[in-house]
Amino acid sequence: MDQFETKMVRGVTMRKDPAREACFTVADTDDQMISWPEWTDESKRERIHRHMNNEMSTTEVAAQCLCDFPDAPWELRMELARQVWDESRHAMGLYRRLKELGGRKGEFPVANFEWAVSSYLDSVVGRITVMNRTFEAGTMDLMAFIPDGWRENGDPQTAELLDAIAADEIHHVRFANHWVHKLCAENKRNLLKVAQAVRFMDMAQKALTPPPGTTNLVGVSVEDVAQSAPINVADRQLADFTDDEIAVLLKQHDLESLVTGQETRT
Amino acid sequence: MSIKLTVKQRADTIGTLRFVSVFLMETLARWIPATPEMEVKMLLSRQVWRMAQQADRLGKRARELRAPLHYSRPPRQEFLAALKQLAAISDTTDRIDAFHDVALSALAAAHKRYLAETDRLTDEPTVMICEQALTEIEVMKRERNDWGSEIPKSRATDSPALKAVRQAVAAASKEIVDHSEQAA
Repeated sequence: MDQFETKMVRGVTMRKDPAREACFTVADTDDQMISWPEWTDESKRERIHRHMNNEMSTTEVAAQCLCDFPDAPWELRMELARQVWDESRHAMGLYRRLKELGGRKGEFPVANFEWAVSSYLDSVVGRITVMNRTFEAGTMDLMAFIPDGWRENGDPQTAELLDAIAADEIHHVRFANHWVHKLCAENKRNLLKVAQAVRFMDMAQKALTPPPGTTNLVGVSVEDVAQSAPINVADRQLADFTDDEIAVLLKQHDLESLVTGQETRT
Repeated sequence: MSIKLTVKQRADTIGTLRFVSVFLMETLARWIPATPEMEVKMLLSRQVWRMAQQADRLGKRARELRAPLHYSRPPRQEFLAALKQLAAISDTTDRIDAFHDVALSALAAAHKRYLAETDRLTDEPTVMICEQALTEIEVMKRERNDWGSEIPKSRATDSPALKAVRQAVAAASKEIVDHSEQAA
């Protein structure tokens, strides 16, 4: 793996941001971002703009894996190459929608947290654990609800776009699940890499979460615009999370009663 | 009837074409985070997947020619050096042209040379792979100009870096396969 530049944010050393055009303002933390809880035209554009950058960032994480780990199994590299293409189509779809809604690139600040954390890790198993199996799976949970929010707020086109994106993400999580299990079964040292990756991600998330009461650049409480969702059991099953893994996640969310026989999205 | 290429020579060429396809896939992948322009990143991302698929098909065919699955064989030193020179380009427009115009043209020429040399009946599985690659190369070359309104156009005159890469690749691409034993 080639040497790479790093940055330090609130005491955490992470990978330096990928290249961005001058029109983009790159933030490190939520208090440097812009976001509103309401569904105004401006807030809709900001949601799409943020999502567009996240898709671009995920494209970059998968691409970086292809050049950083040339000795990874070819079948895994094929999955990553396909993911590069998928995520780029997502970013372009969101960019197209942003322009249709009167927005433009760089209209709002963007953050590359997922890149900075994932691409800092020195193993492919660590990166797919964090990027695909954690961040993307978390997005999968949110996507069980987000398209309905757009429909309720009069924008079925964006809802359909997001639903199409969400369907693709299931496979990105699924192949990560498959490969994390396979690589750990083949070599127990990979378990250590997975544990280190998860620990690093948790540490970075805690360090970068603003303290309670912090507001963003437009004076909105960061807590008021933080996104969270219950576990999307149906899509996690499609993504080949085992029943035991889903049970652990539900337990973390205090939803143990849903463990058995869950068939619909929670 | 004359069979021009032996099975080993076929496998060596397939392995070389695969090596070049993977090299280009990795080059594009390295450029994506390092290139600022969003639409350019997205164009390069499309081509990553296409190069991966070409490499995959070649790698599977290699095993049918008594070579290992996904056999990769470095090309001749001059061509490899030219590819490395291409991969070191840092300007966005040069990167786009170096891949779509220079690298893909050299790759297409290598596929065509193979098609001209091999026996189209006994080696038909490879023929189909090469013909599919040539079709995809044409699509990628078209996309350089047609895909996305924000992709920078080629310069009227090559930059010194692109000119040097163009010359290096042209000089080295007459024969890219290294049939010597040490290349295996």
